Amino acid sequence: MADLASRITKPDDKTPAAVVAETKPNVADADAPVDGANGSGLIEPVYDVEVKLSDLQADADSPLFSVSSFEELGLPKAINDGLLAMNFKKPSKIQERALPLMLSNPPCNMIAQSQSGTGKTAAFVLTVLSRVDLSQPTQPQALLLAPSRELARQIQGVIQTIGQFCENLIVEAAIPGSISRETGVKASVVVGTPGTVIDLIKRRQFDASKLKVLVIDEADNMLDQQGLGEQCVRVKHVIPKAIQILLFSATFPEKVMRYAETFAPKANQMKLRHQELTVKGISQMYMDCPDEQKKYEILCKLYGLMTIGSSVIFVRTRESANEIQKRMEADGHKVSVLHGAYDGANRDALLDDFRSGRSKVLITTNVLARGIDVSSVSMVINYDIPMKGPGEREPDAETYLHRIGRTGRFGRVGVSISFVHDRRSYEALSQIANYYTIDLVQLKPDDWDFTEKKVQDVIKSSRAQAEYNPAAVKA
Amino acid sequence: MAESSLARPSQRRSYQWASPARSVISDILSEDRNSEARHRLLIEAAKREHDRVREEAERVYHEHLKREEKQQILDEKRKEEDRIRLEEQIAAERTRLNALRAKKVNIPPVAPEPEAPKPPPAPSATPPAPAPTNATPPATSSQVNGTTAQTSAIPAPKSSPFLAPIQGNKQQLGAQPTASSPLAAGTPPVPATQTLTGAPKPSLFPSGAVQNNGASSSSPAVIQPPAQAATPAGPDRYTVIHNNLKALRKSMVVQAETNRALKATMGDMRREIRKSVGQLTGGAGGVNRMQQQKMNALLREALENRVQCQLIDASNFVVDTTRPPAQGARRNDAALPSLFLYLLNIFSKAVISQFINEAGARPETADPVGVCVAGTFSEPDFLWRGISLIDILMAKFRIVCPVLFGYRGNEKMQQGRQRIGWWKENGTWVTEQQHMDRMTGLGAGYAAIALRKFGGSKKENPYPPRNYWTAMAKIVNTPADDISNTQCVVLKSMIQNYEQRFIEFYGTAALAALRTALLEFPTRAPQKSAAVNSLEVLALSLKRDTGLVLG
Repeated sequence: MADLASRITKPDDKTPAAVVAETKPNVADADAPVDGANGSGLIEPVYDVEVKLSDLQADADSPLFSVSSFEELGLPKAINDGLLAMNFKKPSKIQERALPLMLSNPPCNMIAQSQSGTGKTAAFVLTVLSRVDLSQPTQPQALLLAPSRELARQIQGVIQTIGQFCENLIVEAAIPGSISRETGVKASVVVGTPGTVIDLIKRRQFDASKLKVLVIDEADNMLDQQGLGEQCVRVKHVIPKAIQILLFSATFPEKVMRYAETFAPKANQMKLRHQELTVKGISQMYMDCPDEQKKYEILCKLYGLMTIGSSVIFVRTRESANEIQKRMEADGHKVSVLHGAYDGANRDALLDDFRSGRSKVLITTNVLARGIDVSSVSMVINYDIPMKGPGEREPDAETYLHRIGRTGRFGRVGVSISFVHDRRSYEALSQIANYYTIDLVQLKPDDWDFTEKKVQDVIKSSRAQAEYNPAAVKA
Repeated sequence: MAESSLARPSQRRSYQWASPARSVISDILSEDRNSEARHRLLIEAAKREHDRVREEAERVYHEHLKREEKQQILDEKRKEEDRIRLEEQIAAERTRLNALRAKKVNIPPVAPEPEAPKPPPAPSATPPAPAPTNATPPATSSQVNGTTAQTSAIPAPKSSPFLAPIQGNKQQLGAQPTASSPLAAGTPPVPATQTLTGAPKPSLFPSGAVQNNGASSSSPAVIQPPAQAATPAGPDRYTVIHNNLKALRKSMVVQAETNRALKATMGDMRREIRKSVGQLTGGAGGVNRMQQQKMNALLREALENRVQCQLIDASNFVVDTTRPPAQGARRNDAALPSLFLYLLNIFSKAVISQFINEAGARPETADPVGVCVAGTFSEPDFLWRGISLIDILMAKFRIVCPVLFGYRGNEKMQQGRQRIGWWKENGTWVTEQQHMDRMTGLGAGYAAIALRKFGGSKKENPYPPRNYWTAMAKIVNTPADDISNTQCVVLKSMIQNYEQRFIEFYGTAALAALRTALLEFPTRAPQKSAAVNSLEVLALSLKRDTGLVLG
């Protein structure tokens, strides 16, 4: 909860049951709702009343076997220690459901969809790590494909962190400018972008003959896009036929899903309906700006309304990105700007600044909408509403979803604020909201005391109804 | 080999078999030069030469070993000396602290009141009897956790794993009588001030309009009793302060209704402070200067009290309610402008919220916030009677992260959760993940505040490291049955990234404490949960990354 004040000062807006529980701690507590459990708590007329923790495993609609702790997966101690060092304590829903399937033998393909920030990356990284034979540290055994160099590097980082106690684990990123031309790929795990991977294999600098696992992250995007899709297919043709294929994404549009099923035949599947796609913990609001010019000022004001860790601002053009940077730096923010005008190494450095916290505001065009995980991002701003199609006439609901998914990582509080300033932008946003059946809260920039109060209330209430619970302690 | 040795006359002489009558030529020419006897002779000579060389080599080798050993001893000696010097500095610092403490102890207690986390056992045990009027602490507010902790919160000094290292350490710490006191197990250096709970004023607002420098006499126009009067029956002083702060916030809203100047500035100031705290980043010195200056400027502006808000007795917001005026202090009046105290409160809220929301996800972000806390509360302008007002922040810490103050509870029990600060939202407990996130951030935040170096600074450290030691002692001295995951999570995050700082302050004692916290404490835990195991994994990481071997 971003605002401590509103919680501390208002003990009176508790539900009646809770109030009873507080005034009569002895017996009435049994009636208090505890931790989302659907039934009543245990009735225990003693001083301490036991909390009935929500029983995550008793999920009736899950026909799948699931585990309640990483230890039950039988992962090697080195991997488990890596998870603990990362403060992962319990599997998230996708992890607890998908991991037993992915780890089972003989290996089985998997198509998995889960909301942003719910632990997809860790799920496939764990599969990869437990499939790799560390006694052959330079023989490529697992290949992971991602749509951008940023994402590939990020996944590489996650593998190295979870595998920090695995001896002889070598992970290389097959992205432009990173693999030595003399030695070629000398790693057991390779993360890369499809184009570079194809090149390396063609030049015989990447021995793909012993690959056991192929992971495609952001799979809908990878298989759908003209260039990337072709490259993925070409990669598939040059790797062993008997390989475990894992496809992951937060979104899987219908037609891509059909294609995915042929790409990864006989796969186990985990899907979501599109109403379930948005993470409920993210408070979604929009700011009614009087005109385009006022947007700059309003943007700066937002940072006083709530506690913000890091934030990402999505803009349409490079020019406005640069302009916003200027304004925000004058206001005391440390800002990174990332857009297509920067080349690979520069992009890496800029993003590293943001990841490490040297800068806390990231202004970007669409480059980063997908996958990038900086856990402390607590606000996403759609400075411009995402559009697609010829002439950018159509609202882009998928991009909207991926953008706001940069916050609220792993069940944390997140806020997204979209700026509208005219009829067109308002209508585009409305369509997106309708598609996902979300209620966007309106904010106005005239009375900041009032807006502050409203934002606090929205955060509080969206937290309260956050029924989606990744159930994982990534403390 | 043998031949070459033979060729050297100087050496040849020393060999017995080499008769002086024989020349090299005669050797060669002699008839028996191919005889078996001569061969044997030569072989023997070769063997001797070999042995000689070998002995020499061995001698040199042993000599070298000895030299190395000597060097090692010298190195060790130097290290020991360094350490002793460091510890002497610590001891000296502690002497100073103690002197300071001794000074405060002289104040006669107005209404002695046992504190919850205070070590001496059996303080007015269970029933919160003293004031039947307004008491029944558990009922006052859902989030005032720990009110029932008096029974269980008393650290058990007898187990005192923290005591052990100290004994061994006494020689180095020297004869200073003070040296061991902050380290003693369950009896941390309870700031003497804490033991005194004066009878708080019935109202936050002294009816006599107390004048502040420069404020016009008409300023405290509205004097109204706060909604919640501070009663002496409170569970502990920090909780009382916390309630007083709530009352202060309410009174500000009321004041703003009639005071237009106040209304015009208060909200902007609040948002500006929140923004500045959010802007703090890690990085080399000076990156946050702009934010710190802005914050100081806002607080100074509030002190000047141009908006003419009410003045409030500052003793409502400190632990030592009887704090006397101090010589040379800039603020010696009993009362301070309410806006100033309100902004300190807002600053503290922003800090806590930043810890929870940002450092919960990334603990390393707590550090720059800790620097800012130390910088702000130590600012001479913002001291009250020569001492910082950091109790305002600590009162909040006490509410949101009670395990740092020695409170314990069973996470499976309602009351247990309440005691350890498991947050409730709209009447329901937040999820386990949210709770552990909060605890991670707050643990890191606490370390970021309590382990600041003030060595080269003229300013006084508002929250010196002994508090850190105390907090850690209170967690690791928990009886095995009471150990909770919350404690493990807090303990881990208050150590991670701060182990070096801790060792710099406490030397070998810190190593012993780390061993206790990361190796012994987890083995005592009744259940090997992930939170417990992650303490041991932290020890592994430290060993791998820093070479720090605790085992």
